[in-house]
Amino acid sequence: MNLEDDRRTIRPEPGPARRELEDPGPRRPDVDRPGPSDELLRRMRRVDPDQAKRYRQRSGQ
Amino acid sequence: MGATLLGLETEYGLEVEGAGPEEQAGHSRALVESHQGPCHVGWDYRHESPRRDLRGFTLAQLAHDVRDALFDRPSRDVPRDSDRADRVLANGARFYNDHGHPEYSTPECRSPAEAARLDGVGDWTVMRAAEAYATKLGRRVRVFKHNSDGHGASYGTHENYLAERRWGFARLYRAVLPVLVARPLLTGAGKPGSEAGPPCRFQCSQRADFLTEAANAETLANRPVFNTRDEPHADAARWIRLHVISGDANLSPSCTARKLALVRIAIRLLELGAAPDWEILEPGKAIASVSRTLDGSARLALASGAWTTPVEVLRSYTAAARERLDRAEPGDAELVAHAEQCDALLDVLPERPPEFARAVEWAAKLAMLEQYFDSGWDETAARSLDLAFCQLDTEEGLYPALAAAGLADPPAWLDAPSRLDELHEATRAVARSVAVRRFPQAVAATSWGRITLHTSTGARELELRPDACYGDAVRAATSPDELAAAIEDAP
Repeated sequence: MNLEDDRRTIRPEPGPARRELEDPGPRRPDVDRPGPSDELLRRMRRVDPDQAKRYRQRSGQ
Repeated sequence: MGATLLGLETEYGLEVEGAGPEEQAGHSRALVESHQGPCHVGWDYRHESPRRDLRGFTLAQLAHDVRDALFDRPSRDVPRDSDRADRVLANGARFYNDHGHPEYSTPECRSPAEAARLDGVGDWTVMRAAEAYATKLGRRVRVFKHNSDGHGASYGTHENYLAERRWGFARLYRAVLPVLVARPLLTGAGKPGSEAGPPCRFQCSQRADFLTEAANAETLANRPVFNTRDEPHADAARWIRLHVISGDANLSPSCTARKLALVRIAIRLLELGAAPDWEILEPGKAIASVSRTLDGSARLALASGAWTTPVEVLRSYTAAARERLDRAEPGDAELVAHAEQCDALLDVLPERPPEFARAVEWAAKLAMLEQYFDSGWDETAARSLDLAFCQLDTEEGLYPALAAAGLADPPAWLDAPSRLDELHEATRAVARSVAVRRFPQAVAATSWGRITLHTSTGARELELRPDACYGDAVRAATSPDELAAAIEDAP
């Protein structure tokens, strides 16, 4: 499959540099964000960090 | 436009204290049976056809997940009807056990906003049934609204859209598939990590890891981006029910409505001869790439040999919707409003400011996790926090707290208790609802497209037409005879 730039149908807006095939993952945008609330932080701190290891489900549709 | 129905069906995650997946089907069945409130027990399966394919053939059998099938062996002695624990609820919805997951199917709607509201009623229904079951069992029961367990087991949130049969598979596929590939950027629920395909830290779609085919009728294995199951639940000569299985379960009602609106826009543009013409190669790989490229710059290979991006695909649909849809018509006006909102979100996608995160579920989840971990991302802990994010629990779930802090859309279930049995549109769900609420003893059988009522002249099987208006006469019926007459005479 040819994905050369010159065969592109529509030029994109200028954007972030091209990523490699193995995406390094999301990067935090450089913007100010509101902080999480006390209640949210309290709930997050109460989460067992290993609960996802134990969580198993049947496959469905 | 007025004839078009849509709806959602969601399989919820279920965790019972001390129980594993081998016991899940039994617990799911018992949870559904714990539902409190008026309902009809049973479902009329006579008109179902899950093996029929839109492309004109019928499969000899559907594929199944080999590992999961092992769990079915101990329960083979349970008849299907008992195993499903089917309930038709007072609002015309269906609530049942599907492969070990409590599943809620919304009543039929016409508006994406109404479907999102009724999806929230489903969340509330499942939460209340889980509470009742936990009390009965004396063990902790937790339910989750998401699409995988993080270990490779996936369960679906399916969307249904009625379309005219004359469009057929090829034209529907061409018009709708590009939207299915691109929309996770604006509608995904998001998750940390990958369960198949290339590794990643976070992706915007929960479901993309499990979509390996372009188009087929399967749902349990070899899942496609475009599902071809031909089971219209209506007159098959006139209607197709487009059965979409590639979307995520959303806690954010605005994401739910946007998810539905984007597909409705594609179908409306097809009807107007104005659907953008993208022929995306390898849709399974394409949606995986979209899911992992959060700034919208994923390259989607086209049959022409060129490539495009999901942002350009979405922009082509929103531009066509703004230009071609009729803003004076209420259904179209709602879709145009969604198109305008999508454009505004795409404008700020690269920066993901707080207003983007508030409106797009995956971005709200990612922002929450990034703030929590600061510089030290921990994938195991992130997956556990994701599980807590998706937990349906006003007191413990992370999503309601995020919404209360103004960082996400309030969950739709908050409004549910006061509007439980309300139906704001005169769809065939109204007929089902009136029958279940007012004449439960008269309901002999029901499904999406038919209802059988015991009347003074005997049992009468009535068609529930998708394009009829089940309005005041149906709502005002004072006897099964009057209800049957109102259903038959619905304009």
